[in-house]
Amino acid sequence: MTLDIILYGREHRLELLAGVPACRFRLSGGPERAAHVVAPVPGIYSVLMDGLVYDVWVEEAVSGLVIVIDGYRFEAGVCDPRRYSRQSRNRGPEGIQGLRAPMPGKVVRVLAAPGDAVEAGQGVIVVEAMKMQNELKAPRAGRVLSIAVKEGAIVAAGDVLATIE
Amino acid sequence: MFRKVLIANRGEIAVRVMRTLREMGIPSVAVFSDVDRTSLHVRMADEAEYVGAAPSSESYLRADRILAAAQKHGAEAIHPGYGFLSENADFAEACENAGIAFIGPSAHSIRAMGSKTAARQTATAAGAPVVPGTDHAVGLPGARAFAAAHGYPILLKAVAGGGGKGMRTVAREDELESAFRNAASEAQHSFKNPDVYVEKLIERPRHIEIQLIGDRHGNMVHLGERECSIQRRHQKVIEECPSPLVALHPQMRKEMGAVAIRAARAAGYYNAGTVEYLVDQDRRFYFLEMNTRLQVEHPVTELVTGLDLVRLQIEIAAGARLPFAQKDVTYRGWAMECRVYAEDPYHDFLPSPGKLTRLTRPLGPGIRLDGCVYDGWTVPMEYDPLLAKLAVWAGNREEATERLIRALREYDVGGIRTNIGFFRQILEDPEFRSAQLHTAFIDEFLARRKTLQPPADVEAVAALAAALYTQSRRPEGASRSVRTSAWLAEGRGDLLR
Repeated sequence: MTLDIILYGREHRLELLAGVPACRFRLSGGPERAAHVVAPVPGIYSVLMDGLVYDVWVEEAVSGLVIVIDGYRFEAGVCDPRRYSRQSRNRGPEGIQGLRAPMPGKVVRVLAAPGDAVEAGQGVIVVEAMKMQNELKAPRAGRVLSIAVKEGAIVAAGDVLATIE
Repeated sequence: MFRKVLIANRGEIAVRVMRTLREMGIPSVAVFSDVDRTSLHVRMADEAEYVGAAPSSESYLRADRILAAAQKHGAEAIHPGYGFLSENADFAEACENAGIAFIGPSAHSIRAMGSKTAARQTATAAGAPVVPGTDHAVGLPGARAFAAAHGYPILLKAVAGGGGKGMRTVAREDELESAFRNAASEAQHSFKNPDVYVEKLIERPRHIEIQLIGDRHGNMVHLGERECSIQRRHQKVIEECPSPLVALHPQMRKEMGAVAIRAARAAGYYNAGTVEYLVDQDRRFYFLEMNTRLQVEHPVTELVTGLDLVRLQIEIAAGARLPFAQKDVTYRGWAMECRVYAEDPYHDFLPSPGKLTRLTRPLGPGIRLDGCVYDGWTVPMEYDPLLAKLAVWAGNREEATERLIRALREYDVGGIRTNIGFFRQILEDPEFRSAQLHTAFIDEFLARRKTLQPPADVEAVAALAAALYTQSRRPEGASRSVRTSAWLAEGRGDLLR
């Protein structure tokens, strides 16, 4: 299996030559490496590589995978080069941009209606959680294409609340 | 002693109070809203009563329903915790009128120390030094006149305020008018009271506070200080006892303690309370306010003094005398606490409620964890994001810091974002280590921190884990699924950013 993994904006190609527990892999055309890997709990890997132990915590987030090793935190995007062509997730082919909820919460105000012209940075929707309000702003000037939520709606992180073209 | 106690709160503080009640052999009554039926404070309680809908204005702030619950269950006392009704004088009065003991000070004391301006007047009358200020609400001309007399920078503060709401720093005359307007409107919005007063701004102050405990027979002692200078958005996130500054200048504890006791006595105070001070760069201290309740950060005092403040609160409310005098209070070692919040420090500290999918707690020597979370629990979006207080005790500050870092490395909370990793960066910062603390520390830290590059092998392990995880979720040969398209995200350089 070969995967492209993006860490810190840098792309790595990982070839997995043998799976758990006796893993062998090659990273970005480097030398072949071996690691002994067990998963005592789903999402937790204990990796033994070159005599060193790494406790690795992996979970899915809106933006991809979050990986924590020894306090180092990585956000990773993963894609299979055989199957996907890369595209930015917020921008559709016709320049339509989605405004996504940055956190789970409740919609407390809708500041624009479909058809409204908006300036870059103009507030469109206000989401509240845990006594804190967050204003979702238009990322650029354009026209509001759709508003997907009403005031009072409960939203999840990553939900598209409005689209702007 | 009380035969039953109701806890008018939720979350970690309700659990904290219940633990002591159980050790004292007193049954506890929990109250809960629609979204808290599965919360730990309800699961742990002996008895429980539903008090209303999720918004706190319809449940935890409903004094009438909470009193009715106490009466229905035969509770003889109410512990208010912190927040919610804990500093509400009318509620304290209603409890006493209903023949139920309020575990805290009298309604009179809460009123005397309740608003910041009333507290300033009480403290000034008792001879406590205060930051030069107007002592009462002023209009724009009054603010301008104060600045002319004392010079900029000044601070605008809401009379009814707290938690940094309605607060504005004004560095120059031409900023005053708009800052005043914003402060008043935020104060109106947050506290239904637009009144604003003015203080001289103390630059880069430390926040040091004195814990008090007194009985209803006129005895009062202080239990030393806590340093709470590490704050974000005017909320404390790391607290320690003793203060590194006071540890170097022990006479400060004596002076600040004596002034705190004088101010509290002037308000007829009893039970637990905290006098907060700002300390300037010349080690002059100024009375800031008094919190007429148990503080969030009380565990660091407990660890160093060996006392259980909640037990003392309950005994005092039941009429007991303070079982020790000032000379009996001793301080041993160093305690440090961090507040673990459901928030994302890598994205502007946005709240992060949701379901906990995984939880590994730190264990081992010197660890105290006051929390309200369990694996599989959904953190509600309606309340404060405090999940747990992780406190450690060790022989000195250096060892306490290392121990806290060690504990944070063991602490894994999955499914939601937390500030656990962020604390580790602060604790490793050289300025934190050398105790160069002040209330703007985090702002300056965010500006100066550099991205740390992980060792290459750690990066390789991260890539391997990402591949193994992806493979486990997407068996070889499976067809392209919609879910995996969510992984087409741009990777972000969020490492210890």
